[in-house]
Amino acid sequence: MKNDNLNKLWEMQANDSPNFDPKDIITKAKKQRYGQYTSITVMSLTVVILIIYTSYYAFNQWNTFNLGLILMITSLTLRIILEFNSLYRKEKKLILMAQKSYHAYLKKYYKARQMINYVITPICIAVYIFGFYLLLPYFKEYFSKAFYNYILISGTLSIIVVIAIIIKSTIKEQRFLKKLYK
Amino acid sequence: MITEQQFTNIYNLHASKVHRLCLGYASGDNELAKEWLQETFIKVWKHRNAFKGASSIDTWIYRISVNVCLGDLRKSKKFIQINESLLSDDYDDNTNNDENKIQKMYHCIDQLNEQNRALILLELENIPQNTIAETVGLAHGTLRTRLSRIRKSLLKCIKNEK
Repeated sequence: MKNDNLNKLWEMQANDSPNFDPKDIITKAKKQRYGQYTSITVMSLTVVILIIYTSYYAFNQWNTFNLGLILMITSLTLRIILEFNSLYRKEKKLILMAQKSYHAYLKKYYKARQMINYVITPICIAVYIFGFYLLLPYFKEYFSKAFYNYILISGTLSIIVVIAIIIKSTIKEQRFLKKLYK
Repeated sequence: MITEQQFTNIYNLHASKVHRLCLGYASGDNELAKEWLQETFIKVWKHRNAFKGASSIDTWIYRISVNVCLGDLRKSKKFIQINESLLSDDYDDNTNNDENKIQKMYHCIDQLNEQNRALILLELENIPQNTIAETVGLAHGTLRTRLSRIRKSLLKCIKNEK
């Protein structure tokens, strides 16, 4: 097969050019941007409320309920902030780097993600579960048995679902890292 | 700063090339290629302020496009569905089955390493070599030799000569 034939073969591909309207792309881009701003605002507000709440109760009526609540929110917030930060940095590199440098960056990035996946995330999950555990006696005391059971079961199930999602994405990232070294 | 009108012009000028480039990366999976195309231009619009003109706009767009395709964690569905019989030795160069030939070309492109894949896909789209060099981050001098080697290995793969 001659060199020209490779070009011919390439030209033979179905040229099913997509009919995206550039205006729709701009709208989607704007939506994504606003979504990011909203998430950052919600995150920042959560952190501010958390700080105010902790400072207030630390000097007034500190108990294991407050501790449990703070542990749960802090671990979740920390993990989400880490995720946003890592995604933001990756996108910044994507638009600036040549393919060769970006390829090298991705290797470093997914290696660093292993630290998040295998160390920080399990710690966050453990802290979250411990926080939830600290709340249970209060729920048991203040809520009906049926509602307590509902909280217990739904809380446990949602933790299991979150863990399953994290494991799935960790496996995906691991597979991708191997592919990068191909 | 890129205005909406300029963005529309840029899109109309580059969309089809970017789409075919993504199609090569996605082993012919058109749905995935469309998503990558859209993602590329969403990023172009979102980060238009970051474009300082250090390189040409073409280079910047191809860089984003290649990096979007490279960084996606998803596997192409089409690649998984490739018919293994296409890889058999009785592949006939003169066969009329264009679809089979194309599928085989996608499979062979997929066998290349990330950089070689980007190089050949950009070259097949007739993108000037200095733009390819800047997009990929290679010295222009080494590009020509490299491309010729990739072409040879790709042709061998398609013909199944090992």
